[in-house]
Amino acid sequence: MVVAKISDVEFGVDLPTFEPDTSLATAGKFATLVGWGGARFTDHEAARKEGLPGAMVPGILSQGYLVAMIHNWAPDAEVRSIDTVFRAPVIADEKHSISGVVTDIDEDERRVEIDLTVSNEKGETRVFGTAVIELPA
Amino acid sequence: MLLDLHTHSIKSDDGRAKVENYCQWIKSKNLPIDGFVLTEHRQFDNESDYSALGEKYGLVILKGSEVETEYGHILVYGVTPALQEEFDFANIRIPLQTVLAACEKHGAVAAPAHPGRPRVGMFAHTDELGIPEGVGIVEVYNGGSRDQEDQIAQENAASLGYRGIGGSDSHIVSHVGRCATRFEQDIQSIDDLVAALKSGEFEAVSLKND
Repeated sequence: MVVAKISDVEFGVDLPTFEPDTSLATAGKFATLVGWGGARFTDHEAARKEGLPGAMVPGILSQGYLVAMIHNWAPDAEVRSIDTVFRAPVIADEKHSISGVVTDIDEDERRVEIDLTVSNEKGETRVFGTAVIELPA
Repeated sequence: MLLDLHTHSIKSDDGRAKVENYCQWIKSKNLPIDGFVLTEHRQFDNESDYSALGEKYGLVILKGSEVETEYGHILVYGVTPALQEEFDFANIRIPLQTVLAACEKHGAVAAPAHPGRPRVGMFAHTDELGIPEGVGIVEVYNGGSRDQEDQIAQENAASLGYRGIGGSDSHIVSHVGRCATRFEQDIQSIDDLVAALKSGEFEAVSLKND
């Protein structure tokens, strides 16, 4: 269901799950574009030599996916803040999913708070956070 | 009675959950827990009184702390003003023996959190530092555990004869109640909780797939 206005939102409702593109090609291309060139985003073997479990998806790309997920659900939402805690790296070429759920609604301010969780296939939380969005009346 | 013994609110630096939203979430999702303990990082929240909120939602809301030692993070239940005089809760390297001795002296309970976790869990340090004296309870189900962390905690707890507790380690609203601890006794206060933990009549439960 696509949300258009604040009155459409209910506490506890799940946003449609979003499957981000975590391919090494995309992670590496993004990292290079934003000036984060480095083997840890482009090469699994080189990343392992740095002590990582594999090449990582850049954190700001994950944050971008969080915003994309919100806009898939509420295209007219203004994202006021995305606040993330990176618990573990999002490893490139591993399947991840992003879940979101509404945890607070302020109808007067037309603001909604959303819990966001990036999990891997084992169900482990890699990134969590909250977003505050503003919706039309 | 089922209590989530490890939660964080916006009082913690990495906590993003408001306490009332935890309550709303538990009720709206019909979670099977009867309450939760706020264990804020490196502090004890002396200011907040959640009794009215607890009454409003029919939940038990208690307060503890999660402090940091050379053996990793330690949950503390039964924090009193006198206990707070014993060590600096904000210190990130309190000697574990100081925490354990202070808890013993002031009738509190200390339990290593997520002990199977690298770096911040007790069993990550026992090879180097040895098995600490005085630990009797450890967290064996943690809602934020990855890989084999809970399994490491459970196996070590079993071999060392520790009792196990469970907590979600929630930092956002929707993560509360993922793990909990089941008690035989009715628990309405922090004194009840401390007494129940000392009695040993409890078991850790995971509710992650419920």
